[in-house]
Amino acid sequence: MLVVIPAYDEQACITAVVSDVRDAGFDCLVVDDGSRDLTALLARQAGARVVSLPINLGVGGALRTGFRYAVDHGFTCIVQVDADGQHVADHIRDLLDALHGDGLGLHYLDMVVGSRFAKGGTHHMSSVRRVCVRMLSAVIKRSGGIRITDPTSGFRAIRSPLLEAFAADFPAHYLGDTFEAVLVAARRGYRIGEIPVEMRERQGGRPSADLSASVQAMMRACTVLFTGTTFDLPERATGRPA
Amino acid sequence: MSTTAKQALVLAVGGLLIAAFILRLARRRLLSTRYAVGWLGVGALIAIAAAMMPFVGRLGRLANMTPTAVLLTVSSVLLLAISVQLSISVSLLQERLRTTAEAHALLANRLDEMERRAR
Repeated sequence: MLVVIPAYDEQACITAVVSDVRDAGFDCLVVDDGSRDLTALLARQAGARVVSLPINLGVGGALRTGFRYAVDHGFTCIVQVDADGQHVADHIRDLLDALHGDGLGLHYLDMVVGSRFAKGGTHHMSSVRRVCVRMLSAVIKRSGGIRITDPTSGFRAIRSPLLEAFAADFPAHYLGDTFEAVLVAARRGYRIGEIPVEMRERQGGRPSADLSASVQAMMRACTVLFTGTTFDLPERATGRPA
Repeated sequence: MSTTAKQALVLAVGGLLIAAFILRLARRRLLSTRYAVGWLGVGALIAIAAAMMPFVGRLGRLANMTPTAVLLTVSSVLLLAISVQLSISVSLLQERLRTTAEAHALLANRLDEMERRAR
């Protein structure tokens, strides 16, 4: 199991995030998404594996790089964690437990999303964003047939064969890596579930949630709904995951 | 000289100038052959339109437009088509750049690991 952390200019938080993950007992990979600061250096010093992209590709681009690294190095399961300290390392174990089900392969999942809004989850979010998230959630329910209350969450566990499928093709644009990936995977028969998690406020660095950012998020969400999905996955083969 | 003949002359000269400019760019390798062919086609089309000015006039009367309006419409549509084609090319290049950047990063990482192990 590998923890994948996409990071762009996160020198303020990266050391603490990597240390948390390492202290929880997990191996981790930081995908430095063309940062102009000391993110890569600090991550390496904190004990992470580091892959540095020569240019900024966005979260989706960094994630596909991480998925490819994981597949190349023989990992069959990854947990994606944000580099800004929002996600609590203690929940990684919960995500993995949900992924592996009862251990007999009866309730296994291909992807588990850590949700801020599922029962037990608490999080404060601007009302505009909340409306966006509800809207996206409704689309996934209607078109993908599953209930995911927090489709924009970047705290997820993914495993083979979905991991290989994502390594081959994964969208790089806004909402592509979260909402669209969940929707397409659900339509293609992959098993997706969610568990409630707490998230903290970001622990430092640039904030990304002022009003104009919210409005932009809203507009982009509408664009995605209008254009539909832009990538595809192979149908899930039946049987147990590796 | 009639107005139509003057217009035709201007168009013909314009078309030839465009063609000459494109050829020069292509020879200096500022423009790849692939795009040079397209733009040469535009130049040729303008020159041909000059030769066909009377026809353009007749076409205009059919659509209740002046010859100038017909030419402007045709050229707008042509420019729009070229812009869309270029956007498609750029999108494709972005996807290739992304894949290349990924491969670069993964290779750099492997090299790094190998060097550290060799030390």
